[in-house]
Amino acid sequence: MHCRNFQDRPYSRRDLLKGCGMGFGSVALQALLAEQSRAAISNPLAPKTPHFAPRAKNVIFLYMDGGPSHVDTFDYKPLLSKYNGQDPREVIGELAPTQFDNVGKVLQSQWEFKQRGESGNWVSDLFPHIARKEVIDEIAFVKSMTSKFSEHTFANYFLHTGSPFQGRPSMGAWTGYGLGSENENLPGFVVLNGGLIPPGGLDCFGSGFLPAAYQGSVFLPKSQPIANIHPREKTSEQQQEKLNLLRDLDVATLDARLPDPQVEAAIQNYETAFRMQTAVPDLMDLTGESDTVKKMYGLEADFKNTQTFGLQCLLARRLVQRGVRFIELTCPGGNGDRWDQHNKLVEGHNKNCQTVDQPIAALITDLKRLGMLESTLVVWAGEFGRTPFAQGGDGRDHNPFGFTVWMAGGGTKGGASVGETDEWGYKAVRDRYEIHDLHATMLHLLGVEHTKSTFRFSGRDMRLTDVHGHVMKEILA
Amino acid sequence: MRLLSPILILLAALLPRMEANESLEFFEKEIRPVLAEKCYSCHAADAKKLKGGLQLDHREHLLAGGETGPAITPGDVEASLLIESIRYGNEDLQMPPKEKLSSEIVAKFEQWIANGAPWPEEPVPQRGEKKEESFDLQKRFEQHWSWRPVTNPDFPKIENTNWPETGPDHFILAGIEEAGLRPAPPAEKNAWLRRVYFDLIGLPPTVAQLESFLADETPEAFSRVVDELLASPHFGEKWARHWMDLVRYAETYGHEFDYPIAGAHEYRDYLIRAFNADVPYDLFVKEHIAGDLIENPRRHPTEKFNESILGTGFWYFHEATHAPTDVLANEADIMDNQIDVFGKSFLGLTVSCARCHDHKFDAISTADYYAMTAYLHGSARQEMPLDVGRVRETTREKLEGLRREADQMLSDPGADATALPSDDGEVWEDFSGNTLPEGWTTTGYAFAPTGEKSGIRFEEDYPRSRPGTVDSGLFGKEQVGILRSPTFTIESNQIHILAKGQGAKVRLIIDNYQMARFNALLFRGTHDEKLDTKGEFQWKSLAGNINKYVGHKAYLEFIDPGEGTLILDEIRFSGSPPRIEEGEKDLSTTPLPEKAKELVAEGASLAASLPAPRYAVAMAEGTPEKAHVYVRGSPRSLGEVVPPRTLEALGGRTGDRLFLAEEITRPSNPLTSRVLVNRIWHHLFGTGLVPTVDDFGPMGRPASHPELLDWLASDLVANGWSIKSTIRQLVLSSTYRQSSSPHPDLSPETLAEADPSNTLLSRMPVKRLTGEAIRDFILAVSGRLDPKQYGPSIPTHRTPFMTGRGGKASGPVDGAGRRSVYGAIYRNFLSPFMLTFDVPSPFGPKGRRSVSNVPAQALVLMNDPFVAEQSQIWAKRLLAEAPNEEARLTRLFEMALSRKPTEQEKNRVQSFLASQTENSPLETWTSLVHVAINKKEFIFIP
Repeated sequence: MHCRNFQDRPYSRRDLLKGCGMGFGSVALQALLAEQSRAAISNPLAPKTPHFAPRAKNVIFLYMDGGPSHVDTFDYKPLLSKYNGQDPREVIGELAPTQFDNVGKVLQSQWEFKQRGESGNWVSDLFPHIARKEVIDEIAFVKSMTSKFSEHTFANYFLHTGSPFQGRPSMGAWTGYGLGSENENLPGFVVLNGGLIPPGGLDCFGSGFLPAAYQGSVFLPKSQPIANIHPREKTSEQQQEKLNLLRDLDVATLDARLPDPQVEAAIQNYETAFRMQTAVPDLMDLTGESDTVKKMYGLEADFKNTQTFGLQCLLARRLVQRGVRFIELTCPGGNGDRWDQHNKLVEGHNKNCQTVDQPIAALITDLKRLGMLESTLVVWAGEFGRTPFAQGGDGRDHNPFGFTVWMAGGGTKGGASVGETDEWGYKAVRDRYEIHDLHATMLHLLGVEHTKSTFRFSGRDMRLTDVHGHVMKEILA
Repeated sequence: MRLLSPILILLAALLPRMEANESLEFFEKEIRPVLAEKCYSCHAADAKKLKGGLQLDHREHLLAGGETGPAITPGDVEASLLIESIRYGNEDLQMPPKEKLSSEIVAKFEQWIANGAPWPEEPVPQRGEKKEESFDLQKRFEQHWSWRPVTNPDFPKIENTNWPETGPDHFILAGIEEAGLRPAPPAEKNAWLRRVYFDLIGLPPTVAQLESFLADETPEAFSRVVDELLASPHFGEKWARHWMDLVRYAETYGHEFDYPIAGAHEYRDYLIRAFNADVPYDLFVKEHIAGDLIENPRRHPTEKFNESILGTGFWYFHEATHAPTDVLANEADIMDNQIDVFGKSFLGLTVSCARCHDHKFDAISTADYYAMTAYLHGSARQEMPLDVGRVRETTREKLEGLRREADQMLSDPGADATALPSDDGEVWEDFSGNTLPEGWTTTGYAFAPTGEKSGIRFEEDYPRSRPGTVDSGLFGKEQVGILRSPTFTIESNQIHILAKGQGAKVRLIIDNYQMARFNALLFRGTHDEKLDTKGEFQWKSLAGNINKYVGHKAYLEFIDPGEGTLILDEIRFSGSPPRIEEGEKDLSTTPLPEKAKELVAEGASLAASLPAPRYAVAMAEGTPEKAHVYVRGSPRSLGEVVPPRTLEALGGRTGDRLFLAEEITRPSNPLTSRVLVNRIWHHLFGTGLVPTVDDFGPMGRPASHPELLDWLASDLVANGWSIKSTIRQLVLSSTYRQSSSPHPDLSPETLAEADPSNTLLSRMPVKRLTGEAIRDFILAVSGRLDPKQYGPSIPTHRTPFMTGRGGKASGPVDGAGRRSVYGAIYRNFLSPFMLTFDVPSPFGPKGRRSVSNVPAQALVLMNDPFVAEQSQIWAKRLLAEAPNEEARLTRLFEMALSRKPTEQEKNRVQSFLASQTENSPLETWTSLVHVAINKKEFIFIP
C-alpha cells in the first residue's frame, strides 16, 4: 500500500491532526502504542474498567427467533406422552390466554429424549451434535425462564432491551456502554444476520437513548457485510489521495474556523472509518481457516441453512478474536417461519435444529480448542417457549410462562441445570427466573454490576434491568 | 383433574413429627434468624417503612397478614402465601425481593408450616406512631422553581451598554461580565448568513443570496434577511421537523408487521402550514389537545377544510401491535405513551412517571396521571374525511334546502313499516325520535336521523326515508361519514344490527383497540364487518371473538366511505341470533310525485359531483368518562375514581378536553410558555437555557439564566404567542451574531476556568447539521432539490440490509429530490442515513436529539450511493456553470461553505488537480465535490 504523502510521525493527537503526516491507510506502530491514551480522550468505545473482575470478556448471543419448543428439545416431560391427545383444560387445569386462541390437545414430543454426557442432562434427538458429551457438559441450563409477553414484538424487545417498547438500548449496547470495546476498527456490538430480522425490527439491536456509538451493526455473512464499507473510488490510491486532501483542508480550518473538539473527533473518525474498510473485509476472509475447521462448522453441509449459520458461528468466533465485545446471531430464514411453529412443528423444528445444531456444537468445541471458551459467554435463548398442548393439530403456541435457555463458557457452570417447569412444561414452578435475571447474570459475568450500570434519561437513571434482576448464582462456576 | 406435585407427596411422607420443644427450637434456630435477617427491614414493627402492610415479627401478624391476605395457613404448606413467595414461583410475589433464599431454607420453612408454624409465647410487637414519609404535593409544588409564576424581570445592570441589540442580550452580557469574560467579536457576515439560513430554513444560502447580503452594507441588511427567511415556505419545513421529534411522528405502527398509519402526512403538512402561518402558540397547543372541539376552527388557506382538528392527530402516532392477549393492558401502555408525549411536549413534565406510583420527585400524583387517562378514555380515534373546498358542507346545506322543498310535496308522509316488537328487553337502540339518540355522535356530512316522518332522500332508486332510522344516504350516496355509539360495557356475545346497507362497514372498538382492521386475530367479528344487505333491511350480527370481551368497554363505529349508504334501524344485544320477524315490509318505496322525483334527481346529481374523500387521523369526542386509578399501574387492580381534570399543581379543575386545553395555555400556567421559548433557544443556541428541554421537574437541570427564561416567556405571551417574533429577536441579537471563536483577549485557561462549557455564551457554539439538513444541503447544492411542498411521503429507499416483516416498496435513492421532511418514516425501516446522523427513532417525545460523532458517519459520507450520485450531479453543474478551474473552485467553496477559498486552500486543491492526470474532468471534479461534502466545515456550522 503506497501513500504519497505518508511520513512517519509521532501520534500525539494535535500533531496528528495538524501535520499532513499521518496518512490514511497507514497503521503506524506509534499509533498502536498510543491507542489507549488516545482512545481515552473522547472515544465512547474506549475500554472501561469493570466493577469487579470479569469472568467473560465477550458474549455470543445465539438468538433463537420465534421461540423454540422447550418440551421438544431440552425440557423432558414424560407426562405429555401419558396424557397425549387429552383436553389440556381438563388435565392441566385453567389455561392462560394464548396468542392464537386455538387450543388443541395435549401434545407429546415427537422426538426421543435421552440423558447425555456426564451431567446426564436431557436432550432430544433434535440436537445430536449438541448432545455429544464434550459439548453438553459445557452447557448450563435454565429451565425456568419466563417472559412477560406472549406477542413476538413485545417479547423480542423485552429479551433484547429489558423493556417491551421500541427505542430502548439493546443488551449489546449496554455492554458497550459498560465496558467499551477492545477493537477500534470494528463496532463493539455486531449482529450477524442469518436472514431473519426479528419482529420489532432493527430496534432490537438499537442504542435507544444511549449514544449511537453503542448501537448494533448488522453484518450479513456475505462479501459486503455492511453498507458503505467498500470505497467507490476506482483504486485505493485514488481514495487515499482524496482523503489526504480532505485532511489537509480540514486541518487548515480547524483553529481558524471550527475551534471545537467535536470537529477534531470527527476528523479522527475518518481514520477509523478508513481502517474499517480494511478490517471488515479481513474479518470476512476465511483463507486462513483450515478445511477441518470449516467442515466442523458445517460450511460444507448439505443443508444450505447449516452452511449459513455455520458461517455465522465461525465469524462470531473471529469477531471474538478481534475483541468485539458482543455478538448476536439471528437465524437463517426458510425453515417454516423461524422457530415459530404454530403448525407443522415436526417439519419446522427439524429444519431449525438442523440449521443450528452442528454449527453451535462446533462453536463450543472450537472456542474450547482455542482456549477461548473460558472468557467467552455463549447464550442460547428465544423470546419465549411453546405450549405443551397443541395449537390446532400439529403446532404449538407461544408460552412465556416457563421455557429453557442455556449458557456455556464465560464463567458458567458446565453441566448444571437449574429451575423447573411443572410436570407439563407449562409454567415455571421452581426457581422461577425472568429475562431481567438473564441480563443481570450476563452483565455480572462481564464484571458489570447491573444495578450500577445506569444512564440518566427522561428524568431517571435507566438500567438494562430496570428495577429488577437477580444474578442467577446457581449457574456460576 | 389437577395432579399433585410429586415433590409435595414426597414432602408429606418424609416430614418428621416433632415435639413442642423441639419444634420451638427448630423455629428459633432455622426460621426466626432468617426472618430477622431477610424480612424485618420491611416487615417488622420497627421497619422504617412497612411494605405491603405485613409484619412478620409475630405469629398473630403472620395470621392476620397484609394487603394480599394471611401470610400463612398453619399446617397447609400450599395455601401459605409466605411459601409461595419464597419459592419464587409467582412473578408478582417474590420474596425476599433482592435474592431468592436457598432451596434448603425454603424446605425448612415448608417444614415449619407443615408442623403448624409454632411460635413461642411473647408480646405482640406493635408499630409505633412513626409517620411514614409521604407524598406531599403541596410541598413539592412550593419548593420547585418551575411551578413559580413567570415573572417579567427588568434588564440587569451591564457595563457595555452598546453591545445589546435585542432584549436577551442584556441578560447574556450580564452573565458574561459577571464572570469576568467578554463576548466574542461578531462573526464574519458570511458565517452569520450561513448560520441563520440553516437555523431558520435548514438550507444553505445560494451564491446569489450570499453576494446580495455581502453587498448590502445598510444596517437593515441583517433584519432583511431574517424577515425573508421567516417568510420563506421552507421555514415551516425546518421547524415542523423539530415538533415531529416531540410527537414521535411516524407513518407506520412498528411492531411485527409495521402496519401503516394512513393519512399521517396530513398532520405533517398541518405543522408546516402552522409554523409558516405563525399560528399563535397557545392556539397551536389548543388545536393539538382539542382541535376537534374548537367552535370556529381555523381553515386551510385555499382548501378551506378544518385545519384545527388536524392538530389532534399527534395523540395517535404511538406504536401499536396486533393481537394483544391483554387488550386492557395494551390500552394502558398506549395511554402511557400518549400522556408522556402530552406532558413533556407542552409542559416539560414527566407526568407518565406517575403511572404506577406518585411521582418520585415532582408534584404529580398518580391521581393526576389517571385524570389524564380519563380524557383518553372519553375520546375516540377517527379517520376524519377532510372537506376539501368545504364542498361536502355546502352540498349538504343545498340538499337540506331541496329536501325541505320536496318534503312539502309529499301528500302522503309514507307510513313506516311496522315498528319491530321490542318486548324482549334486548333492544339497545331503535333510533326513534327526531334527533340522534343521546351520546351518539357523527363525523362528516352523511349520517343524519330521519325523524318520525318519512321524507325524501337523494338516492333515485330508494327515494324515501324510513322513519326512526339514522341514514347516511339522505344527502346522497357520495357523502362520507362516521357514526359513533356511546361507550357501553359488553354484556353479551352477539350484537345484532338491523340495517339496509351498501358499501358500509361497522367496527366494534374494544378498549380503544384499533388494530383489528389489519389483523383480526383475537378480534374476529369485530372489525370492518361489511354491512351489505342486497337492497333490503336485514339483520347482521357481530359475534366471533366478542365472547372474549364480555365486561370490557366498547363503542360501535359505523362508516360510510362514500360509495353507498347505510340506514340503521335497530341494534340489539343478545347471546343468540334475533328472531327473524316476518312482515317487515318496507313501505318507503311508495312512489313520489313527479315534481319531487325531479328534485331527488337534481340532488342526487349534485351529490354525485363530490370528489373522492381524503382522510386524516384525528381525535373525536367520545362518551365522557371518569377513570379508575390503576393501583401500581395494573388495570386489574382498580383504585379510586378520578374525573377528567388538569394536574392538581396546575389547579386541578375539572372540565372537558377543550377546557383542559384552555387551562394548559392560560398565561398563568408557568410551564407552557417557558417550555416553548426554551425549545426555541435550544434549536438556535444548541443547548436550552434549561438543558433538559423535556424535563422541567426536579430531575431536570435548572435554568442557566432563569431571569432570561422568564423574560422570554413573558415576551412571548405579550407578543401574542408568536413563535416567529421570538425567533426574530434571538437571531438578531448580538449574542447570536458572535463568532464561535472567543474574544482574542481571553486565554483558553481563563475560559476553561470561568465557563468551561460555554454556558454563559461568550461565543456561539459550533453546531453539527441534523441528518435532514445534511441531506437537503447536498440536494440544494447539486441542484437536484425539488422544492415541491406537501403531500404523501416519498417511500424510504431500502438497502439490502433493511429486511424484516412489513417491508414497504423501496423508494428512489435520492428521495425524488424532495426535502427530507417529506421522506416516509416507517418505524421498522428507518433511513440508515438519517439514523446515522441522530434522527430519532420515533418512540417517545425527543426535544433534544443526541449529537453523536461516530465513524459510521464518515463511512456514509465517504461511500454512500446517495452521496456519490449527488457528487456527480453537482460536479456536472459546476463544469457547466463555471468557465475555468479557478472560477469553479471559488463557486464550489461558495456553494459548500459560503466563502471563498484561501490561498493555502487554492494551492492545495491545485496540487490535487494537477495529480489527476488519469481522470476525466468530470471524475476529477466529482472527487473534489465529494471532498467538499466530507469537509467538516460542510456539516459543522460555526
